[in-house]
Amino acid sequence: MKISMNFSRSIGIALFILGMTALLAATVYSTPIPALIGLGLVFWGVIITYIQPDEYVKKTILDSTSTTLLETLDETLKTLDYKGKATYLPPKYLNDPESIKAYIPKQETNTLPLPEAMQKLEMQPASKDAEGILITPPGAQLARLLEKEIGTSLLRISLNDLQQRLPQTLIEDMEIVTDCEIRQTDDKIDGRSQENAQSNRNVISAKFTTTAFKDTCKRATQLSTIFSNVGCPLSSVLAIAFAKATGKPTQILNEKISEDGLTSETKYIIIEEPYI
Amino acid sequence: MTPAFPLGLWDISLVLAVTAIVLLVTSEILSPYYGAANLRINKKRLKNAAMTTSILFLTTVAIRIAATIYGIS
Repeated sequence: MKISMNFSRSIGIALFILGMTALLAATVYSTPIPALIGLGLVFWGVIITYIQPDEYVKKTILDSTSTTLLETLDETLKTLDYKGKATYLPPKYLNDPESIKAYIPKQETNTLPLPEAMQKLEMQPASKDAEGILITPPGAQLARLLEKEIGTSLLRISLNDLQQRLPQTLIEDMEIVTDCEIRQTDDKIDGRSQENAQSNRNVISAKFTTTAFKDTCKRATQLSTIFSNVGCPLSSVLAIAFAKATGKPTQILNEKISEDGLTSETKYIIIEEPYI
Repeated sequence: MTPAFPLGLWDISLVLAVTAIVLLVTSEILSPYYGAANLRINKKRLKNAAMTTSILFLTTVAIRIAATIYGIS
């Protein structure tokens, strides 16, 4: 890749120098033909120098590194016996508003601690008395990249704005999905109390097609603590985005990944804190 | 003979128009929405270059219109 970039840069500079020479000759001799040729050469020289090849890595390398990390996280959670549902935390629960964390309770029945208790837990992540664990979710770094591509922190944009900007950013700028649809749904939440059912309006459905994370998402379906809980890297990045944009804790309600791993449909619930 | 650049504003405007069209069409064809997403170039920069060339072309048109309105040849 380095050789290719240097080669294209050399070609660009050579075209630019040739073009400038032609333009100089056209000015000295006042002839239009070298001027037109010169303009063309200068133009392509600038374009080739400016538009460099992007840096790419093989997809197999991405798959092998990301799936290993997911497997490690799955094994760690199983070994420590954390059985609860992962909750993506908004900044008010954390000491550093820029940090990205998900909280996993020890038992399924455990509730989400208050922001103050969570901040204390963040200071002592290895405390034996803690009823839950704080982890850096698989999509954390991808969420930072998303913020960089959007050009602003996810804390500064509303949910509606995010719904409009996410598909374009994920498809055109980051090129990690080929199709993306995000909408708020009226679906019923299975297995939840009547009180929680009142927050149905806070269910967001995201459907996307990905080739970049196809194998990683497919592997995630086999990991019990990851699938429909912490989520694959793509589901995780959306959960982080929703938690930051709404300022409310967010959970992955359920995740459906097609057999080939290409299409994924994930439902998220934005938790209204009085109902926790 | 005094050295003088042989092309006028109209000639440069024409060159800019053609290159802007070429770049805009290329950046649209290479958009991930249309499937030709495997070309390994920085598409964001290509889009920026296309937009810049288009703005330069429109500037030459604006100069020409202003010149016509105010009667400057």
